[in-house]
Order: sequence, then structure tokens, then C-alpha cells
Amino acid sequence: MSVPFRLGAVMLAALLVQLTVFVDVRFFGVAPELLSLLAVFAAFLIGSERGPLVAFIAGLIWDVYLPTPLGVTALTLAIVAYAVAKFNEGLFQDSRTHLVMVVFVASGTAVLGYALIGGIMGSAELLRIDMFRIALIVGSVNAVLTPLASPIMVWALGGEGTMR
Amino acid sequence: MVLPQGGGRDRGRHRLVLLALTAITLLSLDLSGFGPIGTAQRWMRDLLHPVAEVTGAVVSPFANAWNAIFDYGDLAAERDQLREDLDDALGAQLAAEAEREAFRRLLEATEITYLPTIPTETASVVRTAVGNFDDHVITIDKGSNHGIRPGMAVVTGAGLVGRVDRVDAITANVQLLSDPNLVIGVRLASTDEVGLGRTIPDDPLTFVIDRGLEWPEGDDQTLFPAIGSVVVTAASSRYPAEIPLGRITDVYLDPENDIAMIVEVELANDVRDLSYVTVLLALGVDQVPMVPTPSTSIPLNIEVPQEPEAGQ
Repeated sequence: MSVPFRLGAVMLAALLVQLTVFVDVRFFGVAPELLSLLAVFAAFLIGSERGPLVAFIAGLIWDVYLPTPLGVTALTLAIVAYAVAKFNEGLFQDSRTHLVMVVFVASGTAVLGYALIGGIMGSAELLRIDMFRIALIVGSVNAVLTPLASPIMVWALGGEGTMR
Repeated sequence: MVLPQGGGRDRGRHRLVLLALTAITLLSLDLSGFGPIGTAQRWMRDLLHPVAEVTGAVVSPFANAWNAIFDYGDLAAERDQLREDLDDALGAQLAAEAEREAFRRLLEATEITYLPTIPTETASVVRTAVGNFDDHVITIDKGSNHGIRPGMAVVTGAGLVGRVDRVDAITANVQLLSDPNLVIGVRLASTDEVGLGRTIPDDPLTFVIDRGLEWPEGDDQTLFPAIGSVVVTAASSRYPAEIPLGRITDVYLDPENDIAMIVEVELANDVRDLSYVTVLLALGVDQVPMVPTPSTSIPLNIEVPQEPEAGQ
């Protein structure tokens, strides 16, 4: 099974779980962002050249279901993924703890970035004080989901950048 | 973990610029209403809808178990409250029937005829908000194949719930009345005045009419709208007229404008807990007028589609 096919399957599965499970299962009223999680993982595992492309596609898929114009999440996740990859390239060693921290910060940043870009694009209601709470919870829950998502993404990416 | 990539840094930066330009192009096209972009999104949602339905059915026991565990306290309190409400309801049944009769008479007195003539489509709520920022949106299991179009009013037996927003072939999104950005043209049944209002942020049960109502000269109490009287959609609104919204709970002077009146309304519907809704298959005017006009001087501006177009 090729890498694009596996990545597509994982993205589709993440989208379906997001649309079904996390409509009802919420943490303090906030749902985790699985496609953000995949985007951060992709950047972390395959670097700044291809990571943002995977993140862009994941964001585009999620955009189809969000009320903001097509491209807001895609743009946000591509930028966050590039930042994650560049940050990670400068590190001499990494660990699972490090990955969890990166997922926490990057997922929260993606929420804030989505609100900011969406706000600039005309959805001013996204820019509210509540977005910091949402970012904190999304970052935390995505960080908790990291051990579960890690082997799935390593498999989807064909073993590239396997965890140390 | 990340493999060294010769020349990848520059390529990565260039690729990011290309992705950003692509995203901005898509954003611009979508914002300008470029047809193929919307069509492609509708196709994807329609294609995935059956898969999402099956997945939802498979995972629903997990979601139910989650809610049972983490919302148990709320459920117990809700059960106790429902018992009290049932006792109250049984005692107030006769009074409620009398009120319904009074409301029916009110509608007859104002020569409202839209209710029997407008076709409706009943739909069930497929899901609530999917994202973290779209709190005031639900998805229903009827779409353009059933004659539903953007802008149509969505109601329950109690009154207005919201308006149809995005429409796919077999599903549609409804912008709920709890969205403070949704402005509604309303008429006060007790005084026949028309104004514009919206819900208060973080309080989906309170609707505030803060535009279009003037404070009576000389504080004439007889000209105030009666507390407890009904508020309905105005004929000059973008929705069919005379859809109930709720009852007036408070009337006061606008602190920022001493000739304007603010009216608070307790909404008849709690939009946070909906299972079924009804879509009125009638298109009203496109936008809420900036200056409200008396509803009695304007004919109902309603277009009833004759034949739902399939495949849109």
C-alpha cells in the first residue's frame, strides 16, 4: 500500500471520527482537532519539505465542514507544520516527551491561527476571548492522544522518521 | 527523527509560499462565490454523508457511554427538574389550552394565512457543531433534493429556531437563533410595533430587540408592550411573518439612546436541545431592512417554490 493511499485513509478515518465521535464527546465543551494532530505529526516526522503539504491537504479536508471559507484551516496548518518542522530540524535530540510538548503547543497555536486568519477573512466572531481556552484544551487533548496517533502516523508515512 | 534533507530548507520555504498562494486563491474564490468551489465541497459532503452516518451508528454506543459517565450529574438534575416540570405542566394544562386558543384568535384577528399555505419539510438533526467555533450550527438530514434552499426559516411547534444556511443535496446546515449575528425582524403582538433583534451572546434563551422601537412620549404606560405578550416575525423580515419567537419579559429605556426602547424576550425554543425541526419551504426577502416599517402596511413578501428541483 503506497504512502499517499495510507495517508489518505488515515485522514479520512480522522475526519469521520471528528464528525461522529467528537461531535458528542467533548472535553469542557471542546473537541480535539484530529486533523491538526495529523498535520503536526507529519511535519514532525517528514520535515519542512513535505510536512506542510500533508498539513495543507488535511486542513483542506477539514475546511469543507467548517463555516469559514475554504482554505483558512489549510493555510493555518501549513504554516504551523512548517514552523514545527523548522523548529524540530534545529534540535539535536528528541523524545516522546518532546513530541508531546510540540503537539500541545502546535495544536493550540493552530487553533489561535485559525481564529486569527478566519477573523481577518471576515469571520470576526472567531476572535473572542474564549479562543484561548479552546486552544489550551485542544492542545492538551491532542497531546494526550499523541501516543495513540504516533504509531498510526508512522505507519501512514511508511516508516519515515520513526520514533527514537 | 527528521532525516537530513539536502536543499530541503529552500524547497520547503518555496513550497510553503506556493501552498499559501494556493490557499489565498481558494479563499478568494470561495468568498466571491465561485460556483465550482462550492459544488466540489457539496459533492464531498454528500459523498461522505452515508459513510459518516454508518460510522456514527457504529460509534454511538461509545458516545452515549461517554455522555452517561460524564454527564450523569446533569442528567440526574435534569430528571428531577423534568419531574417538577411535569407536575407544573399537568396543573397548567387547562391554562395552556386557553392561551393557545387566545393565540389562535390573535392570528385570526390579524388575518394571517401563511400557515396553511406554506409547504413544510420535517427533518431530524444529524449532528450539532463539528468544530470548536461554530456553536450555533446544526446539520439536518434534508437538503436541496427536498426543496430546501438557503435562507428558509426553520421552526418547531414552539416557534422559530433559525435559518437554513448551507445546503447540500441531502443535508443542510441551520444557523440557529442563538447566533448573535443572526438579526431578526420582529413584531410585538401587543403594540404592533416592528423592530430588529438578536440573542445575547452566551445566553441562547434571551432575545433582545434593540433597534426600531421608540420610547413612548411622556412615558405613557399604556403604550408599552405588555409583559408576557407574544413576539412574532415581522412581515418585513426575511422570514415568513407571524412565526412565534417568544414572550416579552422586560422593557426598558436604552441606556445609550434615551428615545429608544429595548425589549427582552424569553425565546420559546431552547435551540441547544433539538431532535427534529421543520423547514418552511418559502423564500422571504433576502435581507433584513435597515429601517423597520409597520408590518401591517407591507404585504407578505413570500415566494413559495412550486416544484423542488432535484440534484441541487
